[in-house]
Amino acid sequence: MRKFNITVNGVSYEVEVEEVVSGASPNAISAPAAKPSEPAPVAEPAKESVPAAKPASSTAVPEGSTAIEAPMPGNIWKVEVKEGQEVKAGDVLLILEAMKMENEILAPADGVVASIHVAQGASVNGGDILVSLK
Amino acid sequence: MGSSKLEEFRSRRAKIEEGGGGKRIEEQHTKGKLTARERMNLLFDKGSFVELDVFVKDRCVRIGMEKVDAPGEGVITGYGLVDGRPVYAYSQDFTVMGGSLGEVHAQKIRKVQDLALGMGAPIVAMNDSGGARIQEGVDALSGYGQIFYRNTLASGVIPQISAIMGPCAGGAVYSPALTDFVFMVDQTSQMFITGPQITKVATGEEVTMEQLGGAMTHNKTSGVAHFIAENDEACIEQIKKLLSFLPSNNLETAPETDITNDINKIVPELDQIVPEDSEKRYDMKDLIRILADDGEFFEVHKYYAQNIITGFVRISGQSIGIVANQPGVLAGCLDINASDKAARFVRTCDCFNVPIVTIVDVPGFLPGIEQEYGGIIRHGSKLLYAYAEATVLKVTLIVRKAYGGAYIAMCSKDLGADMVLAWPTAEIAVMGPESAANIIFKKEIAESEDPQSARLEKIEQYKNEISTPYWAAERGFVDDIIEPSTTKFRVVDALNMLASKRKTRPARKHGNLPL
Repeated sequence: MRKFNITVNGVSYEVEVEEVVSGASPNAISAPAAKPSEPAPVAEPAKESVPAAKPASSTAVPEGSTAIEAPMPGNIWKVEVKEGQEVKAGDVLLILEAMKMENEILAPADGVVASIHVAQGASVNGGDILVSLK
Repeated sequence: MGSSKLEEFRSRRAKIEEGGGGKRIEEQHTKGKLTARERMNLLFDKGSFVELDVFVKDRCVRIGMEKVDAPGEGVITGYGLVDGRPVYAYSQDFTVMGGSLGEVHAQKIRKVQDLALGMGAPIVAMNDSGGARIQEGVDALSGYGQIFYRNTLASGVIPQISAIMGPCAGGAVYSPALTDFVFMVDQTSQMFITGPQITKVATGEEVTMEQLGGAMTHNKTSGVAHFIAENDEACIEQIKKLLSFLPSNNLETAPETDITNDINKIVPELDQIVPEDSEKRYDMKDLIRILADDGEFFEVHKYYAQNIITGFVRISGQSIGIVANQPGVLAGCLDINASDKAARFVRTCDCFNVPIVTIVDVPGFLPGIEQEYGGIIRHGSKLLYAYAEATVLKVTLIVRKAYGGAYIAMCSKDLGADMVLAWPTAEIAVMGPESAANIIFKKEIAESEDPQSARLEKIEQYKNEISTPYWAAERGFVDDIIEPSTTKFRVVDALNMLASKRKTRPARKHGNLPL
């Protein structure tokens, strides 16, 4: 267990960081260790412990954009959009295969795809950020 | 009678009926709200409203209250007819001391509550009040307590409907919460235990009144409210509509309407409604509308826990409660909120003898830490309890998935369904083909030369042999497998066949619903 001071959006947090061996923790809310598409931010484990941050947000959401979260655990069946693409409210962003269904994840509002946080085939937990929209 | 006495009576009465008077009434209208009296007149059939306790006055003489005039004590109470049926109601008058509740204000409400319960007629409460009248101290608190007590006594005996048409804060929120249905008017109503200011002091959270306790917040996020209306007029229309689906009390059944469509109709669209690929979504509400007379579905809790659908329809003129999974939202899983929502609705229907038709397409309970920590076991059990406890007639239609504990929970035969119908597309099993094949055929798959194709083969085998309605029908858990196109008349027939159902439960104080 190591202590760090971390500043997020100008607010300073003291966080304790513990290295988790893959699969060792029963509360596996930490980010899946290696998703191919992730830009792998360095300070990631620390961010998990910031009180204000949502658990399991695996990548940083670009400033001013809306994060679309996984409504339940499952696998990314298809990614239907590209970064920079314009979308309209109700457009299918990606398809999450979960609970014996292909669940269409829809854009809640018109916007532009700022970033895609998951790759096809990735498994996600409920609350994981899938796409951010600007 | 001397004309002077008549004059005096008329002027006294007219003064009270004015409530807070011109300027305050104007303010009320500027906010987009109707006055308490206008609301009463809208609710009741023309000319049928009879007011009670017009002349009562408070007894409080403390801290300057002896000089305060509060016409009608800030609440209008009475009775009348709604679509020709007797209904009791009260309507808080925000123009009189902010509709604040004191001893006598509460006494007026109590009287009309007692009448409604005594006569076995519904009561409608229209809330628009700043809260307790502080000058009346503990007398005001006692007033609330007595209203809550009567709400609880009347629960399950007469329909109690609350409409929030202005502020409703602090302890006052618990009367609506104890009633059967809560309506809120968009933008002009709020409910919260503590307002934004105290919330900020206590927790540092900054939030607007609307975000904290507005109509959409309670319709969508908290589930406290069942209905949202764009204005007072629309709200009152919805209340009347709801009343039409309910009986006057627990000993009666809801009024029936004339049958306007052909109940023996074959509906070929139903054969196509469930997609060939069982992983694809469809809108369950399309199916509900096809079953409903005139395609009309009066949805309850439309915005809350949308993975399950609850509401009223008429089938062959009879008021019916519908509970159905929605495959398009959270795959139609049962989760904490969906369990609470459906359990509450099932119990409401059972209280008031409204038959329940359950339409099943459920892949299971939603997995996850959040659900387990949130007590999905405790909440899910409410749904099982509600269905098992309900003695009203219960028809279940399994259209697609019915897996595991969720199959049992969705009014299975074993929870007391009187008639279970299934479509040939039904998949009834302990778990889905993929997971099941991995477990049952683990060894075969591992030992085969081509595990991938062996797995697919086993999945296919499981789908064809186990995930079907036939096994359940062989055991009698499904009474019949039907052509989807014949569903409407099969449901009508089942409801007719079951109409004379008698069911009693052992005598007890009350069951112990898991909370």
